[in-house]
Amino acid sequence: MGDATKALFEAMFALEDIRQVLRESAPKHELDQNQRQMVRDAVLKVEKNLALLKRL
Amino acid sequence: MTDWKIASRVREEDYINLNPLQTGGASTADARKAVISHADGYSICDWCAGELCSIEKPRIRGFLDEAAKFLGMDNAMITNGCREAKYAILHAITKPGEAVVLDDNRHYSSHVACERMGLRIYEAAATSEPDYEILPQAFQNAIETVKARTGNVPNAALLTHVDGSYGNVTDARAIAGICSDAGVPLILNAAYSAGRMPLDNRKIGADFIACSCHKSWSAAGGNIGLLATDDKWSEKIFKKSERYKSKPLEILGCSARGPQAVALMASFDHVKERVKNWDEEVKKARWLMDEFRQTGIEQVGQKPTHHDLNFVKSDILYEISKRHKKKNFFLYHELKKRGIIGVRPGLTKNFKLSTYGKSREQIRHVAESFKQIIGEFSG
Repeated sequence: MGDATKALFEAMFALEDIRQVLRESAPKHELDQNQRQMVRDAVLKVEKNLALLKRL
Repeated sequence: MTDWKIASRVREEDYINLNPLQTGGASTADARKAVISHADGYSICDWCAGELCSIEKPRIRGFLDEAAKFLGMDNAMITNGCREAKYAILHAITKPGEAVVLDDNRHYSSHVACERMGLRIYEAAATSEPDYEILPQAFQNAIETVKARTGNVPNAALLTHVDGSYGNVTDARAIAGICSDAGVPLILNAAYSAGRMPLDNRKIGADFIACSCHKSWSAAGGNIGLLATDDKWSEKIFKKSERYKSKPLEILGCSARGPQAVALMASFDHVKERVKNWDEEVKKARWLMDEFRQTGIEQVGQKPTHHDLNFVKSDILYEISKRHKKKNFFLYHELKKRGIIGVRPGLTKNFKLSTYGKSREQIRHVAESFKQIIGEFSG
């Protein structure tokens, strides 16, 4: 798998993890500590991979 | 240039979705990730040597072996859905004009599958209101009726393990025993059971299990089902075409050959884990039904409930709807305002809902919302 493709999928998968947190906390989206940490980790992953994609 | 615009579907992310059709099929993050990279047509066919169920990459063959074991069967095959599995079985083991026994609480597709086969349908009756249960005796009676009218036992029986109207859980083991004693092959429609609750056919003894994986196995990306059976029936059910040696006849050579197959595989570990929490799922449903009772909403069907899907009668909401400016759509709007969907728009007098996979907190929110609505608009 090419680096750009890998970065693309990694970013999309991390977004799916965030989507899962939204689903599990609907409708109020009041996150507990674990969920907040999961979202933070996923956002970092998205940002890291978007940075790679910006170099394309 | 077409002028339709496909909006994003926002259901699970912003709402508590109680639609019984959808709760057990809500996708896992792993399933959606699998779908993302397998979104193209024929995406699982890159390494196909001619037969879907034998594909090694992705490991469909290995998954099917595991899925069969999970269901307490010997072999399994991917189908386009539960109805296609039921029809495939009927097509393999019966002939037009033969007799089949169906329960009163069957899904319409069971009836349609029999109709398409040209079978003569005999019904195993449900008990009367308010339980609507399919008791083992009903199958015994239906088999006796067939014997009396035709001189033979039915050529098949089809039991809806859990029905989609009341969520009644049948005594599949007892019914399988009756069918087995009479020499009648039993098809278990497990659309609302397998994948949600523990189902081990070694403890039941059905001949076939038909599963709906977009309904109860958290598969995503399209329709998909499983047909499982034991070694005794495998040759007949998985028979290949005489001309095209690798193509199973009963699925017309191939079935779900896209993202739904990998999504099903990706959710399988979650499914294996979640069935262990079935007692908690039932407790949550019972708690909500108890809360409903306090507001005048009554559950119909087995009591206490044994399933996440429940049917309720709600005269109190119906009375409100007569006075409300939105009439019978008031409940839908009031629930939506509170972040709840899945009760069919326009229904107030009776409706069904499912709590499957919802957290205790989400179910508390549902109970409080119904109480609020009734408090605000009654009187």
